[in-house]
Amino acid sequence: MRGNAVICPEIIKKRNGAPVPFDVKKIRDAIRKANDAARVEAIAPFQFEKLVDAVVDAIPYGRTPNVEQIQDLVEEKLIENGFAKTAKAYILYRAEHTKVRKTEADLVKIYRELTFTSAADADIKRENANIDADTSMGTMLKYGSEGANYFVDNYILPKDIAAAHINGDIHIHDKDFYMLTETCCQIDLLKLFEGGFSTGHGYIRQPRSIASYAALACIAIQANQNEMHGGQSVPNFDYAMAEGVACTFRKEYYDAVQRYFWLEYDCQEVLEEEFRQALKDAMPERINMANIDDYEAHFVDWFMGCGEKWLKKTPKEEDIRRCHRTSIRIAMKETDMATYQAMESLIHNLNTMNSRAGAQVPFSSINYGTCTSLEARMAIRNLLKVTEIGLGNGETAIFPVQIFKVKEGINYNPGDPNYDLFRLAIKVSAKRLFPNFSFIDAPFNLKYYKEGDYNTEIAYMGCRTRVMGNHYDPEKEVTCGRGNLSFTSVNLPRLGIKAHRDLGVFYQELDKRLDLCCRQLLHRFEIQKKKTVKNYPFLMGQGIWMGSETLGVQDQVGEILKNGTLSVGFIGLAETLVSLTGKHHGESEESRKLGYEIVAHMRAYMDQKSEETGLNFTLLATPAEGLSGRFVRMDQKRFGKIPGVTDREYYTNSFHVPVYYPIQAFEKIRIEAPYHALTNAGHISYVELDGDTAKNPEAFEAIIRCMKESGIGYGSVNHPVDRDPVCGYTGVIDEVCPRCGRREGESVTVERLNELRKKYPDVPVYLDANH
Amino acid sequence: MAGKVTANNGQVGENVKFDRIRRITGYLVGTTDRFNNAKRAEERDRVKHSV
Repeated sequence: MRGNAVICPEIIKKRNGAPVPFDVKKIRDAIRKANDAARVEAIAPFQFEKLVDAVVDAIPYGRTPNVEQIQDLVEEKLIENGFAKTAKAYILYRAEHTKVRKTEADLVKIYRELTFTSAADADIKRENANIDADTSMGTMLKYGSEGANYFVDNYILPKDIAAAHINGDIHIHDKDFYMLTETCCQIDLLKLFEGGFSTGHGYIRQPRSIASYAALACIAIQANQNEMHGGQSVPNFDYAMAEGVACTFRKEYYDAVQRYFWLEYDCQEVLEEEFRQALKDAMPERINMANIDDYEAHFVDWFMGCGEKWLKKTPKEEDIRRCHRTSIRIAMKETDMATYQAMESLIHNLNTMNSRAGAQVPFSSINYGTCTSLEARMAIRNLLKVTEIGLGNGETAIFPVQIFKVKEGINYNPGDPNYDLFRLAIKVSAKRLFPNFSFIDAPFNLKYYKEGDYNTEIAYMGCRTRVMGNHYDPEKEVTCGRGNLSFTSVNLPRLGIKAHRDLGVFYQELDKRLDLCCRQLLHRFEIQKKKTVKNYPFLMGQGIWMGSETLGVQDQVGEILKNGTLSVGFIGLAETLVSLTGKHHGESEESRKLGYEIVAHMRAYMDQKSEETGLNFTLLATPAEGLSGRFVRMDQKRFGKIPGVTDREYYTNSFHVPVYYPIQAFEKIRIEAPYHALTNAGHISYVELDGDTAKNPEAFEAIIRCMKESGIGYGSVNHPVDRDPVCGYTGVIDEVCPRCGRREGESVTVERLNELRKKYPDVPVYLDANH
Repeated sequence: MAGKVTANNGQVGENVKFDRIRRITGYLVGTTDRFNNAKRAEERDRVKHSV
């Protein structure tokens, strides 16, 4: 001791290196807590003071100590003074505490792994299968992401929330974007294109052909993707493309008329803009594919009346009629070809155009199927045709996620105007996995539906997100201009395991978890609210988000963001049920009831939260993503391998019947359907078919119809789509390619491929390097 | 992929893998190589549903 009084250091360094004033109270508190936890080893007051002094006195004089060093001294002095149990409690407390916070050393370790390990060996680089983390931009993105996660965990999140995320009680999705933006948005292309728009790098005029409509659709998706962390969706793709098709049709029709007279009457003047405008003015209204036949009389009358002025001779009536009819035929054919090309380039663009510093393509979704105009039908027919053919070498397109909106009276039954498109969609999905199918007639979707208003037709984003109801503004229960703000998932199986079959305990703990999630979502929302329009030059600056058109560049977006949703998700209902009852909902009626009760409980909680806050709290059937492995890895460590609960490498997707459980397709649909009604933030059900069944259109349609009749909101059929890039075969390949007969990695002769090409034109052509 | 394959002494395809498109967690992925371990396991465990 240096005399009687203990000399305290003035400042100490926190874990991050920041200096803070030394406070002896913190040492007292820590020792007291540890002693309380030890229970049987009470430290008397005089002993207590001595202990504190001993710790402070041991701090090396003249150097600024850090937190870790002081904690080491506390441990040391407790042991020295014979308080073994308190020391043990203190060590445990310390371990818990440091486990929660990643240290800088961990971050450096992560950076090393990102830098020096290939994606094949590092799970961390394969978190998102659509990002190539082996590329420089992919790695750069991961550096940013891991650095941001570290920052958010250590400096932004309230301690209990950070701990809950880090120890796997909950998962805050896209946490690296916590300080930045929102998840996703449903883009109204029609509203955006009206009068043109700006991407922030230049002004773009209102498009005037299907080619431009399709190209600008991609640009809008890309521009928005760069400002948000989730996917981008177009809810009204067919309605929007119909306008583009109509533009092209008009242009082609008038072109054809002009050329007809130019050739037939050898008259240059009809090629002038003046003639074209006069003819347009003579039509009762803007022509389109539906009304053009009816305008033959107008057309003839106009030419008989003033045609001589332009044509320099009196036209014959039969020539005029022929001109009209031929021009329609030509315009239809040309427009169809232009639409095909536009849809082809749309798919190619959405699979190649980069976003996020070039590391990935935008996560795009397009919804269609309900617009019955001839123009919309032409767009969708061609889109499906292009999708069926595949990309340049016949590859299956990964993007956009395509969603066919099924609706009775529009496309569901024979005789419905778009029934042919529904049938085509089934055929294409059986080959290419897209489109998926959404069901407007499901009661929870139908209640928003107003005939003729695309904004009230349910749309889905990407893998499942759904935004429709609006507690904040019940006048605006629509799709366009809205999206999810952020979402967080609960580790449901852990609650099941910890409840030890006591449902009372389970629900009690579940409510605590839900409360924590909602608190966290609101914490994030407070950050999001303070952003201004200038943080989102496209999303807000171009009026895509609902209400943003009324704001100035410096205005905060908090109020209009309230039209978005804050969602809590869950994974592993199946494992939760096994832990609570011994059986999952695929195998037992009792578990089915309990499963429904649990999810209904969560939904009621979210509804209640919406009531309390005036915001849109919704329940999500989490698709799992990187999470499917993360939760179970931690739970395996904690609880060991519990059969049917933690004994696999993943927790089951949301409310799905486990993928390994043999079950009949219709039965699976019927078991999962009730959960669709509860999960208002989004859901999807899958059926797995083998290659042969998928190719049977009747079987495929029967499944889609069963989904619709059972009250599924969104569903799709999975089946193996393999491809041999050497001979171009697409289908199921087991060990041997059924077309060229090679095994994976084996070669085949060019001669054989040339022979095959006579039968299959899509066999690629090869140049021999040695010839 | 196919565009990069050139014939060598009249042979093509050596070391060229098959593409296997799978939907996992909602998105399609062109090759299972980029799935993380959990996703690979999930895909491996899937059983077909009878109609």
